[in-house]
Amino acid sequence: MDNKTDKNLYTILFAVGMVVVVGGILAFLSTSLSPAITANEKIEKQQNILYALGINNNDGTSAIFIGAKEAPDAFKENVTEQIVLTYKDGEIVQTQTRQEFLDDKENGGFEPYLIDVKKQQTSQKEKGVRQLPLFVGKNKEGKTLYVAPIRGKGLWDAIWGYVAVDEDMVVQGTYFDHKGETPGLGANIKQRYFMDDFYGEKLLTDAGVFKGITVAKGNADPKNERKDDYKVDAIAGATITGDGVTAMIKKDLGLYVPYFQNLKK
Amino acid sequence: MEHIELFFKSIFIDNMVFATFLGMCSYLAVSKKVTTAVGLGAAVIFVLAITVPLNWMLDQYILQPGALKWLGAEYASYDLSFLSFIMFIATIATMVQLVEIVVEKFSPGLYNSLGIFLPLIAVNCAILGGSLFMQSREIPSLGLATTYGVGSGIGWFLAILAIAAIREKIRYSSIPAPLRGLGITFIVTGLMAIGFMSFGGMLTGGDEEKKAKEDVLSVTEQPLGNLTTND
Amino acid sequence: MAILSKKDTKLITDPFLDNNPITIQVLGICSALAITAELKASIVMSISVLFVLGVGNVVISLMRNIIPSKIRIIVQLVVVAALVIIVDQVLKAYAYELSKTLSVFVGLIITNCIIMGRFEAFALGNGPWRSFLDGIGNAAGYGFILILVGFVRELFGSGTLLGFPVLGDPIEKSGLYSIGYENNGFMLLSPMALIVVGIIIWVQRSRNASLIED
Repeated sequence: MDNKTDKNLYTILFAVGMVVVVGGILAFLSTSLSPAITANEKIEKQQNILYALGINNNDGTSAIFIGAKEAPDAFKENVTEQIVLTYKDGEIVQTQTRQEFLDDKENGGFEPYLIDVKKQQTSQKEKGVRQLPLFVGKNKEGKTLYVAPIRGKGLWDAIWGYVAVDEDMVVQGTYFDHKGETPGLGANIKQRYFMDDFYGEKLLTDAGVFKGITVAKGNADPKNERKDDYKVDAIAGATITGDGVTAMIKKDLGLYVPYFQNLKK
Repeated sequence: MEHIELFFKSIFIDNMVFATFLGMCSYLAVSKKVTTAVGLGAAVIFVLAITVPLNWMLDQYILQPGALKWLGAEYASYDLSFLSFIMFIATIATMVQLVEIVVEKFSPGLYNSLGIFLPLIAVNCAILGGSLFMQSREIPSLGLATTYGVGSGIGWFLAILAIAAIREKIRYSSIPAPLRGLGITFIVTGLMAIGFMSFGGMLTGGDEEKKAKEDVLSVTEQPLGNLTTND
Repeated sequence: MAILSKKDTKLITDPFLDNNPITIQVLGICSALAITAELKASIVMSISVLFVLGVGNVVISLMRNIIPSKIRIIVQLVVVAALVIIVDQVLKAYAYELSKTLSVFVGLIITNCIIMGRFEAFALGNGPWRSFLDGIGNAAGYGFILILVGFVRELFGSGTLLGFPVLGDPIEKSGLYSIGYENNGFMLLSPMALIVVGIIIWVQRSRNASLIED
């Protein structure tokens, strides 16, 4: 190493230069690519919601979304209404339709499916207020379903999902995803064998009390034939991710219960 | 109470080495002798205790979506979280080198015992892992972030101390020649990790479940109560 | 028709066995443990590291004469992190599906000490072409072990390879399972990766006595 690279001034200049160059490249990339990235993320959300509704290209045992190109049209066609419930201190204080939400300059003004669940959870923690989006659509058999987004924590990072229920809050479809769970273990929450297990599981007891669904170990019912035990079979070796799924179902879906109680009446 | 819980959790249940397998490279490479292991372990505690809170502030006030609010309302919409990796790693590398320079100037004795490990630490993934976990687990306050940093550091320290002690003993055992050194260390670490899994069982078996139940009750009971009175 | 001289060929072949990054140099262990429960993840990770290490080695090698020695570690880390972020962002914009598969590995690649290790040990002192070969060779050696461990763990842990059941259906009790075979769920847990790597080291050193430690 020659001498000039050891001088303090050179070191500082080099550091500054590097920060400028690398920062410049990254900032440029981020701004120029962000429209494309946002568009992709929008489509992904639509695909997720459609997946939970049962509109997908599933093949054999693998979970496949509806194509990215068809997703926006399919979304328009199949998701007939997007309701936004405003939750405040344990009660639902407001119910908005999509149009009302779009016209709401203060708290809305954008498509309800773009509501950021993470931000709403923070808002619930800090201010006790939370917007709960609920997507109403029809599955392939023409049955009306309600899809709610949920979000929680797995072993390494965030996990989230969409759960489709009918008006009795019986699960009709789910989609789970994760940011960084262990491949082969926790990451398998987005495999069909795990997601399909939720089909037909009840969330409410006969008396109408919200019970949630527990991702349980023990393998007592590996084929998940019992649909009224409020349990699905856990993934071996992924206890903490499974507990995360249980917790996010309980915490986030529980908030929607009053809406469904009203719906029944 | 929160602090104590997080502290013990990060030492035993979320042990950096045995639960998340971070910092393995230096753990395996620098655990031949107890004395060097202690040096590296101490350096890791030290660096984690500094960088985790520092990166917490960075995350809270610069990187998170909306974190730039303190600059003025027009900055509130910026989301710089795509820079977290590079910012965290730059902070760590800078801190490590700063610490190296300071320690070398003011305490040559400490430098001689600790100094050689400091460059190793910048590339120790346990350090970056600490900051990234702090971010993804959404640790709420600076104090807790410090507790988390120190706790994780101590967890790592314990792990390397234990394996170094075992390796010193194992020297006198008759292990098949090809397995000596690295091979047996891998296998012993695997067995230790299985042992440490019992701590994880403590967490999921007791406390957490009770806490989750309480949360659910507080969330659901109220709206349902309202409804039954309506009926 | 030797495109590569003998010395250059050695750069690629050496890390495969006698100087393997995982089993001899003790580099990149964390990721080897974290992601090898599944063969597919091992392959994806190997390819990503191949790319980052190959390109990163060239970049560092080109910059080797202008990097101030005092802050070289920061410079190296920034180069890796920037490379990985660029790839991640570009994939997110133009190949979203692929980026979702890779997103899990982004953090793991940055912290992968095999990359820093090769920058420090090789690229800082050698020309771009040789550094490139060294990067490819080491990444291949690393990938070899990763895929081996992934193969063993997925086969014995879940009875599948790349997601396809190869031993029959454990619930329907077909194939091997009909004669009482059970998956060893233990294989999927990370401690088993350590033990599998330990056994690979054992086998490797029994074959080549010169690698045995005292």
